[in-house]
Amino acid sequence: MVKGLYTAYTGMINQQNRMDILTNNLANSATNGFKKEGSTSQSFDEQLAIKIKDTSAYGLPKGLGDVSLGVKIGECYTDYGQGSFRVTDNIYDMAIDGDGFFAISYTNKAGETSVKYTRDGAFTVNREGYLVTKDGDFVLNQAAAEAGNPGQAGYIQINPNLPLVVDEVGNYYQNDVLLGQVGVVDFADYNFLAKYGENMYELVEGGQVQPSNAQVSQGTLEMSNVNVVSEMVEMINITRAYESNQKIIQTIDDTLEKAVNSIGKA
Amino acid sequence: MMRSLWSAASGMISQQTAVDTIANNLANVNTTGYKNEKAEFKSLLYQTLQTRTTTANGEEKPISAQVGLGTRVAAITSNFVQGPHLDSESYTAMAIDGDGFFAVRGADGNTYYTRNGDFKLSVGNDGNLTLVTSDGFPVLDSRGNAIEIPGGVNASKIQVTSEGAIGYLNAQNNFVDLNQTIGLFQFNNPAGLEKMSNSLLNVTDASGQALNEATTPNLVLSTVRQGYLEGSNVQVADEMVNLIVAQRAYEMNSKAIQASDDMLSQANQLKR
Repeated sequence: MVKGLYTAYTGMINQQNRMDILTNNLANSATNGFKKEGSTSQSFDEQLAIKIKDTSAYGLPKGLGDVSLGVKIGECYTDYGQGSFRVTDNIYDMAIDGDGFFAISYTNKAGETSVKYTRDGAFTVNREGYLVTKDGDFVLNQAAAEAGNPGQAGYIQINPNLPLVVDEVGNYYQNDVLLGQVGVVDFADYNFLAKYGENMYELVEGGQVQPSNAQVSQGTLEMSNVNVVSEMVEMINITRAYESNQKIIQTIDDTLEKAVNSIGKA
Repeated sequence: MMRSLWSAASGMISQQTAVDTIANNLANVNTTGYKNEKAEFKSLLYQTLQTRTTTANGEEKPISAQVGLGTRVAAITSNFVQGPHLDSESYTAMAIDGDGFFAVRGADGNTYYTRNGDFKLSVGNDGNLTLVTSDGFPVLDSRGNAIEIPGGVNASKIQVTSEGAIGYLNAQNNFVDLNQTIGLFQFNNPAGLEKMSNSLLNVTDASGQALNEATTPNLVLSTVRQGYLEGSNVQVADEMVNLIVAQRAYEMNSKAIQASDDMLSQANQLKR
């Protein structure tokens, strides 16, 4: 009917989606290793508007120029910036300082095992002495992490009754004996990282694993990098933008109401 | 309706659990042998908002636009870091230095474990004294028997060596060994122990079987200190900071719910 009605409608939907993303940031403001997400808005493809049956131009179609008929999400991005560190003094807690991810052998409900990546280094040891996440998924060593192999050969097994020492490159020692290296890998392009949930990322087709030069810090956890001030400002921004789109719809509705009810009235 | 309502609600519920945990830590700031706990969170699953995404230059991106659905409590982990040793007037107070746990026989006959070494003596029908916890549960030795001290021995004469061997001084001030050693047990994964009331811990599949320090090789042995109690390892300043974080996070999530509600109400006002 009226183009602007639908344009404003897409605006409201877009603000709602932005609100969803922002709320997820706020809900995860205390999640270990969480990385802030955001979205860009993009206008719909421009279309050439043509006025047809234009009597002022002898009934010939006349170009009016390009119009854009709304907005959509361009992309969702993740801010992989460093989160703050919190000292926990738990020897199984590890944080990554720099660009890198721990590699986890993750088994889903269907029994399929794959390698997932996480910045959440809140690990523990199970009764067999394997280093695992809080959900019991196995942490992989450097060789398995680089090869992307989720098999048992890559699990990290230690003696849980002895102190564990992890140095900056991720080498882990017990009784001053080097036992192996906790796997930390980086990616050539973070655009190929999809979010899985459970603090984990998965690498999609085309992504490349590369060695990381990040440092591992034992006894610390990386906090979420959500900046609550910017989220609150963003929230004001979103609600107001939503409101203005709503006003546009109301105004158009008013105009239509005039057209329907007032024109032609005696 | 809107995902953000439920995402924010999940955030509020998680923060409530965090405050519950912090409150319990603060309540136990003076509990002997208490180990502090921490709530940890994980993000929930992600949904696809829009399949095709492009950069500002119009190039197609490899992943779709994803939105997360909030957070959940992943774990409440106990931190088994050593608490401070506090001087105690009691001769039967004991503190463990190391990773060990005392074993006690509960009312149901099962063995439970504790770091709380505030023990007492109870007099049996035969006049012998038994080492018990303040709730009256017998403390076990390294062979799983209750620790008995002959009647007539003054509590002040009881001596416990740092290895846990228990004995007493007789009238001539000579050490009489009772040939019993206070049982100390370790766990592969102490964080997996189930917490019971009265500072008792129970073995689970996650913790692994109790490893007797007297019989298991290659353990780093812990030592027993008589006349000391292990204080709670709760750090009040840490808990206060955690409380601020949890409360503010709760507040922000409630703001997100309000904002989502406002948006819905405006959508509602569209049709007059």
